Amino acid sequence: MLAVERLEGGYGTGRVLQGVTFTAPRGAVTAIVGRNGMGKTTTLRAVMGMLPAVTGAVAVGGRAILGLPVHEVARAGVAYVPEGRQIFPKLTVAENLQVGQRVPSRLWPQDRIFALMPNLRERLGNDGRTLSGGEQQMLAIARALVTDPAVLLLDEPSQGLAPLIVQQLAGIVRRLREVDVAVVLVEQNLGLARAVADQMLVMVKGEVVYAASAERFREEEASVRAQWLTP
Amino acid sequence: MSRLPWLAGIAALAAAPIALAGFHLGLLTEVLILGLFAMSLDLQLGYARMVSFGHAGPYGVGAFAAALLMAKAGWPLPCALAGAVAITAVVAVPVGWLCCRAGGVAFAMLTLAFAQLAYAVAYKWQSLTGGSDGLAGVPRVAGPFGLELFTGRVGYYALTVALVGSALLAARAFVASPMGRALVAVRENEARAEALGFDPRRLRLAAFVLSNALAGLAGALYAGHVLFVSPELLLWTVSGHVLVMVILGGTGTLFGPFLGAAAFLMLEHEVSALTESWALILGFIFIVTVIVMPEGMWGLGARLLRGARRPPAVEPRHAAP
Repeated sequence: MLAVERLEGGYGTGRVLQGVTFTAPRGAVTAIVGRNGMGKTTTLRAVMGMLPAVTGAVAVGGRAILGLPVHEVARAGVAYVPEGRQIFPKLTVAENLQVGQRVPSRLWPQDRIFALMPNLRERLGNDGRTLSGGEQQMLAIARALVTDPAVLLLDEPSQGLAPLIVQQLAGIVRRLREVDVAVVLVEQNLGLARAVADQMLVMVKGEVVYAASAERFREEEASVRAQWLTP
Repeated sequence: MSRLPWLAGIAALAAAPIALAGFHLGLLTEVLILGLFAMSLDLQLGYARMVSFGHAGPYGVGAFAAALLMAKAGWPLPCALAGAVAITAVVAVPVGWLCCRAGGVAFAMLTLAFAQLAYAVAYKWQSLTGGSDGLAGVPRVAGPFGLELFTGRVGYYALTVALVGSALLAARAFVASPMGRALVAVRENEARAEALGFDPRRLRLAAFVLSNALAGLAGALYAGHVLFVSPELLLWTVSGHVLVMVILGGTGTLFGPFLGAAAFLMLEHEVSALTESWALILGFIFIVTVIVMPEGMWGLGARLLRGARRPPAVEPRHAAP
């Protein structure tokens, strides 16, 4: 489980996060939605240890990770798929997956990856830069999974993808619930967030202002939209 | 890949002592040594994008260490070579620890500073290094157990081939290992590699130490080859020359630097016989190489070979959604 408490910080002197608090249980998808500039990506970057000065507390399975260098946060079981995918473009799909495995993956051998994302099997020998946007996104998720994470942070995975590919992506994220990983999904695409989430969080100005189960969110969606998600 | 070119290369190296006269065998030995020196820099430059302006440092340290171990401590040749590699590697750990804390231009300047520091020490410490005169008449100490096998011209050539070949295999194993792949990941996108759990500084340090140890071996072999060492081996111009060899041959290839070293030595020996301005011609060739074939001689050869073998074109898939 990922537990975030009173997270405050930002870039330089600007304090983007104003006390973010939430928990993301394993075997569930926690979606964070909100308008642009509300601190969603900054929250993920802070959890990952990518912001210089952050206060509060972040724990994975009870182990405090705030303040650790990025590589140690990753070794503590947090995998991050950033906005824009950032695969290694000059490496092949196979090499991208190999690089992800500091030690051979116990939970995600190649066959399991290919069962989830069959496209990657066909493109194994291709350079990352020759993949389509959807394939790159899948490769980025696969590369994160082969690190056997306890927590998977996904930042705007649907960005720039065609609706059909977003549907495929939703299927993949839903299946991740079966593998006891805590998925934290930051999304602008409310449709995708609603389709895959077990828990919905809304962020406004660096704070979580709304947290509810997906069912309750569906019931209250109209008022939540009107209050916090409409510009 | 076909094994034929490799077998042909090994056969050519084996036949060289029969086919080549003494001077040319010596030149081939020097090509192999400088190729090893350039390949060691390629480990840093090609696989970790660590541009060193001070690679003469470990080369000179290895050369002086081997020369001193043979000339002053009386160590047999193979032991002196091994000792020189160990000393260079040990020196590389603290130097690399400091240099790898920086990146880009700062890394280049720090490596240059350490090499120049080593040059100043070698220049001033006359009682040990001979100062500006250097150490002449370094003996190839035979030692017991038939080690005199390597002290003759052909024996030394054979030893050089064996050690350079082993170093090349070790470097290939390193770049193909999980650590080597992680190093390439750091080169491609450091933030991403770090988020996958890799410590970029530690990976760079590992590459730095291995690269320096191999440069130390090249320096030690050079000392045993020419039987003379001087502070000039540590000078910044040597660092510049080896950088030129790597870029001429092709970065990130390991084999390319051997071609670069051969081209460099050929220019030095052949063109300098025609004109004193051989460096001018080298500079021109270097500029043309960087502009026309930035992948170097090895990369160009590989591209031409691929072109010759390429099957009918397949419709590419673009990175669009």
